[in-house]
Amino acid sequence: MENFVAIVGTNSVASTNRQLLQFMQRHFADQAKIELIEIADLPMFDKPADKKLPPLVQTIDAKIMASDGVIISTPEYDHSVPASLSNALAWFSYGEHPFVDKPVMITGASYGSLGSSRAQSHLRQILDAPELRARIMPSSEFLLGHSLTAFDEQGNLKDQQQVAKLAGLFADFLDFVKLTNQLVHTKKINQQEVQNFSWDKI
Amino acid sequence: MKLVGIVGSNSDQSYNRLLMKYIAVHNGDLFDLEILDTKDIPLFNQSNDQTDSGPIQFMKRKIEQADGVIIATPEHNHTVPANLKSLIEWLSFKIHPLDNKPVLIIGASYYDQGSSRAQLHLRQIMEAPGVNAIVMPGNEFLLAEVKQAFDEFGEIKDAKTSEFLQVTLRKFVKFVHVAKALEEPKPLPKEDLNATGQIATTIPDVDMRAADWVEQAAKKVQAVSGDTYVQLDRGILTVDQINYLLSSMPMELTYADSNNEFLYYNAGKEQAGTLAGRRPDQVGNPLIVCHPAKALKNVEWVLQQLRAGKQDVIRIHVPKHGPDKYVVHSYQAMHDDQQRYVGLNEYVMDIKPVIDWYLQQTKQQLVGTTSTTAAVASASVKSEPVSNDAVASASVKNEAATTTPAKADGVASASVKP
Repeated sequence: MENFVAIVGTNSVASTNRQLLQFMQRHFADQAKIELIEIADLPMFDKPADKKLPPLVQTIDAKIMASDGVIISTPEYDHSVPASLSNALAWFSYGEHPFVDKPVMITGASYGSLGSSRAQSHLRQILDAPELRARIMPSSEFLLGHSLTAFDEQGNLKDQQQVAKLAGLFADFLDFVKLTNQLVHTKKINQQEVQNFSWDKI
Repeated sequence: MKLVGIVGSNSDQSYNRLLMKYIAVHNGDLFDLEILDTKDIPLFNQSNDQTDSGPIQFMKRKIEQADGVIIATPEHNHTVPANLKSLIEWLSFKIHPLDNKPVLIIGASYYDQGSSRAQLHLRQIMEAPGVNAIVMPGNEFLLAEVKQAFDEFGEIKDAKTSEFLQVTLRKFVKFVHVAKALEEPKPLPKEDLNATGQIATTIPDVDMRAADWVEQAAKKVQAVSGDTYVQLDRGILTVDQINYLLSSMPMELTYADSNNEFLYYNAGKEQAGTLAGRRPDQVGNPLIVCHPAKALKNVEWVLQQLRAGKQDVIRIHVPKHGPDKYVVHSYQAMHDDQQRYVGLNEYVMDIKPVIDWYLQQTKQQLVGTTSTTAAVASASVKSEPVSNDAVASASVKNEAATTTPAKADGVASASVKP
């Protein structure tokens, strides 16, 4: 069974993105082990000159590295990803580079009708950055709009069409992980490049 | 024109800060640019609302007072840095100071893309409903390979680049005027000139209008006086010593609290007349009592501006003292350490002796003034012949041309408004 980590893309105490990931954790329990990761306790990224990472960053880096894939669920703040998620990704691409070649599935929930569409497209661009270089599953948007009323009391998604869509995307993601593991041609180069990459050298 | 420049990087060694400083230094004729750092802004968290904290309120006030905002962003992971995004999230959560604010986006980056992707993200972010800034379209200024872009004196090496930047900035100044025309006027809340409210420091159950309010109120709160020590920020004085200090000030000070109650002035009881016409029996009054009816509209406007943070200081020249004086009333907003409005300090000063002294010390004269600055000029014209020293006269002209119209402008805008 695959081991995934699922990053809650906000530091908010109340979050329908967390709810969505918790639902996926339960709903797909027979297909994969999903561990939720919180980013609320990460400090503000300050580019430590000695590249010494805070212990929490080291812990999460190791979890991402050891995982078979990452799910990120993002809300949308001001047409983009929350500063807290952007901050987390700044940490997860500094010193260590756990996202390189890592399969990533993006989901998102929002209170309004758009379901974080713009934040998700920003997140795709962010994950393509030289120090992240993730393998983002293409053509696979999961937008959960009106998320405050989307779950029942047990925390399950009410709309069965949405559940079916999510199940389809998740099945695709399991295949995408296998597929990505076969994309070995650039692996070495990617690893080398990211190790050597430094904004100061460019 | 007053602009603020937000540096989107929180690192100490930022080329975007260097770029912003360059803009500030080279464009004194176009605008005043105050550079703001995002360093002290905490990471946005909607579950831990820090909108009322000092650093965020400071940003809010500075942005509200500015005619426009320049944001210089680096690019981290193809987007804007988290600390800049965090600031914008705070400024679009409970408060919206960027609403309808003209914004120019620029950026510097280490590599040849010059923050292009971050700038595009930032444009989309600024368009979000909670932010609702008016970003100047086109005119993308990307400073690429920034490490090589500046010389040792902080100057941009490439002449074409600096010229393009100047063109962009001149366009932005025009854009600010255009954007202003779009703005719906927003009335500010009414001012309670009768001081009917109650703030933490209001002394209750004493008639504010009583001639001996000071004596009654002092008894009521057992106010200390004489040789009792008071700890101040930064120092310790007795009440007597505070009085000696304040009485020796070369200007008249007036304290009106945020409840619009006149609490203090420094002229002392013995002094016959003051420039501002204060009387001992006025202290304690609501502001409505100490102003003639026809002035109340202006008083309210000044208070609204200061309380809302639209301006930090409003200066008005009061000409009634004759040609041998140039009396300026400055209404200075006061804030506590959380940047909350706590009242106003009206300081009144005849600035003519200062100007005369300056001219005498520097052996300069005021020349080449226009009619709008005649008031200042005529007050300080000297009978000495114009200096034949080319350098000196050049700098004098410059002085008159740049500083006095600005002052006249400030006076005009302060007194013309209803």
